[in-house]
Amino acid sequence: MNSAPPALRPFALALGLVALVAWPSPPAGAAAPADHSPLPFPLIERFENYGQAEGMPSAKVHSVFKTSDGRLWVGTWNGLLLREADGRFRRIGPEDGLSHEMVLCLAEDPTTGDLWIGTMRGLTKYSGGRITAYTQTNSGLPNNVVYGVDVLGDTVWAATAAGTGALNLKTGAWKLYDHTNTVMHEPWCYSIKGAQHLVYIGVWGGGIIEHDPKLGSFKEYRDPDRDFHYDLVPDDGPINDITSWLSWEDGVLWQCTYFGFSRRDHRGWKTWIEGKSPLLSNFTQFVWPHRGVAWIGTDRGASVTDGNAWANYSLTDSGEGLIEVHRPNQPVERRVLATALANGFVLGIHVDDREAWFATSRGLSRGVFAADNPYQRPATVAEVR
Amino acid sequence: MCTHSFRHRKTGSLRPPLALAPMKTSLRDLRFRLLALGLGNLRDLVRRFSRAEPALALVLAFAAAHSLSAAGYGYREKPEPPANPEATLSPPAGLPPGAPPGTNAPADPYLYYANTPDEMIPFRNIEPYFRYWTTRLPFRGPGRDYPVSPGLESLKVGLLSPASYGPEGARGERTRHGVELAFEEANAARRPGELPFELVYREDSPQWGSAANIAVEFADEEVLGFLGTIDGDATHVALRATLKLEIYMINTSDPDPTLTETQIPWLTRVFPDDRQQCFRLADLVVRRHGCQRIGVFRESSRPGRVGVMHFNNYIRRLGFPPVQHLFFKPGDRDVRPQIEALKAADLDAILFYGQPEDVGRFVRQFRAAGIQAKFFGFDRLKEDSFKTHAGDAAEGTIITYFFNPQRTDPPWIEFVERFRKRWGHPPDVYAAYGYDGAQMMIQAVNHAGPNRYLIRDYLANLDTYDGVTGHMIFDGRWDNIVPISLAEFKNGAWHFQPAPPITPLEQQKLSQR
Repeated sequence: MNSAPPALRPFALALGLVALVAWPSPPAGAAAPADHSPLPFPLIERFENYGQAEGMPSAKVHSVFKTSDGRLWVGTWNGLLLREADGRFRRIGPEDGLSHEMVLCLAEDPTTGDLWIGTMRGLTKYSGGRITAYTQTNSGLPNNVVYGVDVLGDTVWAATAAGTGALNLKTGAWKLYDHTNTVMHEPWCYSIKGAQHLVYIGVWGGGIIEHDPKLGSFKEYRDPDRDFHYDLVPDDGPINDITSWLSWEDGVLWQCTYFGFSRRDHRGWKTWIEGKSPLLSNFTQFVWPHRGVAWIGTDRGASVTDGNAWANYSLTDSGEGLIEVHRPNQPVERRVLATALANGFVLGIHVDDREAWFATSRGLSRGVFAADNPYQRPATVAEVR
Repeated sequence: MCTHSFRHRKTGSLRPPLALAPMKTSLRDLRFRLLALGLGNLRDLVRRFSRAEPALALVLAFAAAHSLSAAGYGYREKPEPPANPEATLSPPAGLPPGAPPGTNAPADPYLYYANTPDEMIPFRNIEPYFRYWTTRLPFRGPGRDYPVSPGLESLKVGLLSPASYGPEGARGERTRHGVELAFEEANAARRPGELPFELVYREDSPQWGSAANIAVEFADEEVLGFLGTIDGDATHVALRATLKLEIYMINTSDPDPTLTETQIPWLTRVFPDDRQQCFRLADLVVRRHGCQRIGVFRESSRPGRVGVMHFNNYIRRLGFPPVQHLFFKPGDRDVRPQIEALKAADLDAILFYGQPEDVGRFVRQFRAAGIQAKFFGFDRLKEDSFKTHAGDAAEGTIITYFFNPQRTDPPWIEFVERFRKRWGHPPDVYAAYGYDGAQMMIQAVNHAGPNRYLIRDYLANLDTYDGVTGHMIFDGRWDNIVPISLAEFKNGAWHFQPAPPITPLEQQKLSQR
């Protein structure tokens, strides 16, 4: 092997160092001919669908939730469903004590296992078969339309059309958060999520509010553009102030809007817009984070992403299931599935390590993962911790 | 990972991206380490490496070359997919064949949003990362194939009205008269065998959130659509509920410009909003009257805040931001501190926003205090309570108004006559827009049948409508953006100017949809 002339070595090395420092590096996989690294999420290989023919009381399904005991709960336009061990659905309706037939959201109290059910006319608790309804006339619930619910410690948080209500389960006392005692411009709250010691509230027109109940502090995250004509620059904050849903997991906050999708983590904000990213549609209406990836419900199907790689599940005009896998700087893998989501209008999602459930506007879908499921790999150090 | 660049709207030239492409974590760490080392002792580092095996130099050079070749300014996060390997695949549902996946069609001029004049568009000299409302958002959910409810006995339509005892009660009553007249006429024209219309009337209460509960009641009543309301807060709350309930809403009298900016494809507004009034007023104050020192005096409320928001932006873009922006509370009697501040500002013009009786009172006080500025206001000042409270001080006040109510075209004259015959008094704009909104809903039900989704499709796809209030043009947000009129109070009466004609450019806006 021939050596470079000794006189040129310092010069070549200096040049190499300067170039290495000065130039930006490629994004993941930019120059590689093919990226064979495994995806950070499982792919769905088929869907099992449950509609009115399978005993669903209405075509439209708003929410789906699997409690820690493994039972599946489904919120529909016509009551709450519990999936029995034999796979059949048992309906719980207003005649059983449910505050309204149209169920919007579900959450579990991790301490007691109680199920909290947000409906179009009040909040309902299902505890060991006993049903208790909370409305704005029999409790401190700010408004009967409960868009979001979550349980954090001893407090049930309800996002309603006229503020956020917090029910202390030990004392039974309610506290109301609205435009008079928080930074909200308007009290229209559409989603809520407990995050360790914090609570995130998705506010219509107010972006996201981060509340620390112990400190009583409120912090606002707003779209810096402050105009609805356009998104001026990407990644500068929430994509829009109209938060349709939000969720949080392990320090990562995800925001749905009808103008695109956003994420906030320790690096800052990242935004995705239809046509400029693999996001299926700007009309994002639900997000379920699980193990660092977000499962997103849109009006055009469902997506899963870690922010880099994406898998989109949609339908063709002829109703075929379509999967598109996007890896950064790789050609899109697109193929037809043997089965499809019950409908592309996805209103709710629940994913665990075994399966994915989708509440759609034409029934409930179960996504069956392909055999190569990264959730079944050995736990990482972070997961063990 | 930004792929964005800014395109100058005039020259079309591309500017470089604002941010560098993101870095792969491992290489970034390496670079930081090298940078720290290099800054600390670069000369020593080079000398040390140069004595080492030449292969090290080659490795470094290769790494640098790899960075150079792969970095690529402006690389795309989402690469263009290759030619469709499966040509038989249908496009995703909801997209017309051949349609691009995004809705960011760059348009010059940018037209399909609110009819905003070009010079008043924010950041108009750059191309933003993404424009919204260049097309109308479709509703992609199912429902159009739902069967008609068994046992249907009437075609129910809701009317959400402000509380009769609240500040908007009288206007709500006038709206109700217009709506009821439309349904009475429609029922009188039903042929044998056709189901009659039934109006389901609900009054809002002046409490946040009650409109959401009423929207749920409408769903329980199985209405096919509903009309309402005046109060912006209540309308917002009801609108959000309609998205979940999937019931179309026609708004006939809420001027809040943010109402339709929510991307909920279940709303049409027939009432020109405060944004339309704001850019007309901005043009009037700055351009036509040459005012440069402009003050804003408005009600301290949400309607007041969002009402003047665009006026302030527009006059700022025209080069003359407000030199004073002061508030009052509804019903305030003593505004001496504000008067002193406005007087000291030596204003050419003052824009008022508030209830007509409040503004009338202030106008009188302002003139008595010696303020000579020209007074401008919104449509509500046409109500009699303004001139009653303002007295002679109302002289010279100029307002924006939706249309000339003194016009003599047959649709308007005949409507006024029918309305007067039914209710014993002439209609105002609330009654007239209530009538037009109800007529649109009736037309949609007649056309689509008793299916909420087909009714939605009909209404959400209307580009124009001719009602008793005049010609309507609906933009990408389903807002009526027809040019509006002006009126000046002279010699004790309002004198109306015709609305500007619809220009070929505005016609082009619709053709871009």
